[in-house]
Amino acid sequence: MADYDERQSLLGDESDGREADRGPGRPMPAICDPSHLLHRVVVLVFMCFLGFGSYFCYDNPAALQTQVIRDLNLNTKEFMQLYAWYSWPNVVLCFFGGFMIDRVFGIRLGTIIFSLFVCVGQVIFATGAWWNKFWLMEVGRFVFGIGGESLAVAQNTYAVNWFKGKELNLVFGLQLSMARLGSTVNMNIMGSVYSQVADLVGSPGHTALGASLMIAAVTCLFSLICALVLGFLDKRAEKILHKEEGKTGEVVKLTDVKDFPLPLWLIFIICVGYYVAIFPFIGLGQVFFIEKFNFSPAQARAVNSIVYIISAPASPVLGFMVDKTGRNVIWVIIAVVTTLCAHMMLAFTFWNPWIAMSLLGLSYSLLACALWPMVAFVVPEHQLGTAYGFMQSIQNLGLALIAMAAGAILDSRGYLLLEVFFCACVCIALMAVVTLYFVDYLRDDDDDDEGTHILLGFRASSLHCSPQSYQTTATGQDCTTDSAQCCHLWLFPPELTHYVPIGTLTNDTSQFGLHSTSSTSHTDFIFSDIRH
Amino acid sequence: MAAVETERIGRVCAAICLLSVCSLCRGHTQDRQVSTRDRQVLIELNPGSPSPPPGDLLHARAVGDNDTLHFLFCSQGAPTLLLVHTNTSFSTVKVNWTQFNNRTHSGGLTVEPESSILYSTAVVFNRLLEYDDVNDTADPTSDLFPPYDLQDFRWSRLNLSGLTALLCGNTAASSNGSLCLQLSLFETEGRGQHWPRLLHTANSSQLRVWLDGVLPRATRSRFLLELQSVGGASPLSRVEVHRSIDDEFTPSIFKVSQWTSALNNSSDVLGFVQWKPVAYRQADPALEDAAPCRHSEPRPQSGEAVAAVSGLIRAFYKEPEATGLNVSFGLAGDPFYNSTKFLSWTLLVGVGSPPVDSFSPLVIGMMAVGLGTPMILLLLGGICVCTRKRAVATAYEPIN
Repeated sequence: MADYDERQSLLGDESDGREADRGPGRPMPAICDPSHLLHRVVVLVFMCFLGFGSYFCYDNPAALQTQVIRDLNLNTKEFMQLYAWYSWPNVVLCFFGGFMIDRVFGIRLGTIIFSLFVCVGQVIFATGAWWNKFWLMEVGRFVFGIGGESLAVAQNTYAVNWFKGKELNLVFGLQLSMARLGSTVNMNIMGSVYSQVADLVGSPGHTALGASLMIAAVTCLFSLICALVLGFLDKRAEKILHKEEGKTGEVVKLTDVKDFPLPLWLIFIICVGYYVAIFPFIGLGQVFFIEKFNFSPAQARAVNSIVYIISAPASPVLGFMVDKTGRNVIWVIIAVVTTLCAHMMLAFTFWNPWIAMSLLGLSYSLLACALWPMVAFVVPEHQLGTAYGFMQSIQNLGLALIAMAAGAILDSRGYLLLEVFFCACVCIALMAVVTLYFVDYLRDDDDDDEGTHILLGFRASSLHCSPQSYQTTATGQDCTTDSAQCCHLWLFPPELTHYVPIGTLTNDTSQFGLHSTSSTSHTDFIFSDIRH
Repeated sequence: MAAVETERIGRVCAAICLLSVCSLCRGHTQDRQVSTRDRQVLIELNPGSPSPPPGDLLHARAVGDNDTLHFLFCSQGAPTLLLVHTNTSFSTVKVNWTQFNNRTHSGGLTVEPESSILYSTAVVFNRLLEYDDVNDTADPTSDLFPPYDLQDFRWSRLNLSGLTALLCGNTAASSNGSLCLQLSLFETEGRGQHWPRLLHTANSSQLRVWLDGVLPRATRSRFLLELQSVGGASPLSRVEVHRSIDDEFTPSIFKVSQWTSALNNSSDVLGFVQWKPVAYRQADPALEDAAPCRHSEPRPQSGEAVAAVSGLIRAFYKEPEATGLNVSFGLAGDPFYNSTKFLSWTLLVGVGSPPVDSFSPLVIGMMAVGLGTPMILLLLGGICVCTRKRAVATAYEPIN
């Protein structure tokens, strides 16, 4: 097709059809061939374990809460500082992660540097515990935080670089599952690691704590090795396949912030209000279950980790469901209400907390699948990097502040008020999502051809959509989508002489748009994704 | 479509609200026997005594509209708190000091008119036990050191200030450290200032017991306090442990223990000793200084033995019946007494039904605002949508 070459894709590289032209010059075993699936599976394994260490060590304080507080003579507010210091650097870094990977370091070096930060940060953290110096532990968490979130950006960039098309969702899902696996393993084994180290050392104390955290740092070392291996494999693939180094494709312009529409600000509020009721709660959860529900420490850690255990398999399934049905705002409402119910159950009843925590795990996964793609519906493509960066930045700011506030509330007023506080945060998110629903609903009444808002769509029943790549008949526009969703059609009457852009193609391909400004025929169907 | 969804969401929210409101509804158990109104408290020390007796006797009259509560606190022998509830506001206490100080016969202390006595109960602090917890199991049946008998302590004079009285004593052997009891009386309903911030009414008095600086006999020792309850007809017989979802005033403690006495097979509670199962390891405690307590089951004790130990019991009761229990401080894994050499525990002694905690206005307010505002927003949004019913104009026609 004449216009075949003109299509754009954020994925950066050409489709598989092109790679055959630039394949390896000489035959290689399948596992060494960068274009072969087997080699890419090997790369996938290393990519998944890249984030394992960072997620394992992030929740170390929560898994060892009693021991940390007792061995270092802290109160809960100081304990929560360990989480706050992780979030502080990310308030600023979220904007610059993509920039640093694209312009300054490159993906390979960037990944290695961030892994190094993670490793060094955890070692400093462990050393601080060993020497009974709390300020050193805070420094360690700060350094750990610098590496942690940016490593996630690098991991995603690797994924986009190596996997395209419909594989990408699967890869993201696997990476998320591995991350959750890391958190779960941490919750469940660190307690017994500590007791065994305490037996070896002689008595529990800050030395035993430092030694246990050093053992946890081994996972970070493991991630660092994965980063090195990935860098080597990526460089090798670049040489063999002559492809470019991957880019995040994010462009961050801070001046775009003033152009953000109202729905986006509401999405920010939902994000902050929701996540501050999850992560600080898990951080303080173990002692809550021990004190209120008379759980043993091992049981308390297990129920604390159920959120992560559930979200590992639930995220892909719920993601598929949200993609299929559209209507993200309704799913967000359901997730927020379910979380509110779970928190109220934990606050006001003695019902078995397994129920409430399972609900929390499901709704947390649902919200993640429904909320983040909404940003792509609301802002144009060129602002997407800024929007996501800003969203993560204020999320981290909220987490840092609320972590400290939660510790202070617990110290002075106890668990009931803490739970009521978390309920209030979720209620704020609920207010925002209800407002978002109505703002969006009312905006649909207006005619809009800017394509920068969420549209209510209608389905054309006479045409069948397939999730594969497909073409229109006349314009030769190639629309690729790699999520299993149905596409809706717009029929453009012949009197129109140009196509109206509807939206923009993004990495998660929740919607895509048109880039052509001319066409030869008007009886064609323009494939676009409309969703609410 | 949207209206149906709105309605569905509205119904879900209403259900949540109802659930939360229902769980918030906790009423005070209506006390049919003892009025819960305010009282006027008048305190006198050693009433009618010609010279300071060997152990001070504090007498407080908490006068209500048509009843009186007499609080008697004495340090002759083991420290004892005696409550007598009479059905007139004109009852008085008469002490025959020679007989009282003699401690051989009963009758040294009488409440007149005797026919007006409705109920009486007493709490005796008998012994302080210490055990060496070598294996950190908090199991008090082994390695018990010889107990401290509180009747052998050297007690100071009762120090009165306002409506509180302080009594401190140390062992005859060493003058290091002391065991103190602070009695607080109340004219109205309120809440303690310091943790565990027990809720009290005018029918109850608060006793705070603390060990300060007493040298432990082992590095890993933990303490138990033995209490005895004495009553004429029905001493305190059973301990109920209530679970409560509210830990606002005693962070991380979700239980309340109540040692109650009741008539046979009756649900009316005549008198109680109430406490939260927590002791604190610092005078100004933080959350980490909380040491959970356990209590043993109340067992009948020899009334004669208790009367021999406590001068007040001997003087007031002819044939006392007693039950006793131990409260042990600290669980396995908690720091030992040696870490801070301080331990404090608070209890509430009173007549009628024990006070029931309820949510503070802050909690109720936050939940009301938090749940109410989204529902109001839903309502407003629904109204907006209904009033803005316009046909959706589209530039494109749907295909078939």
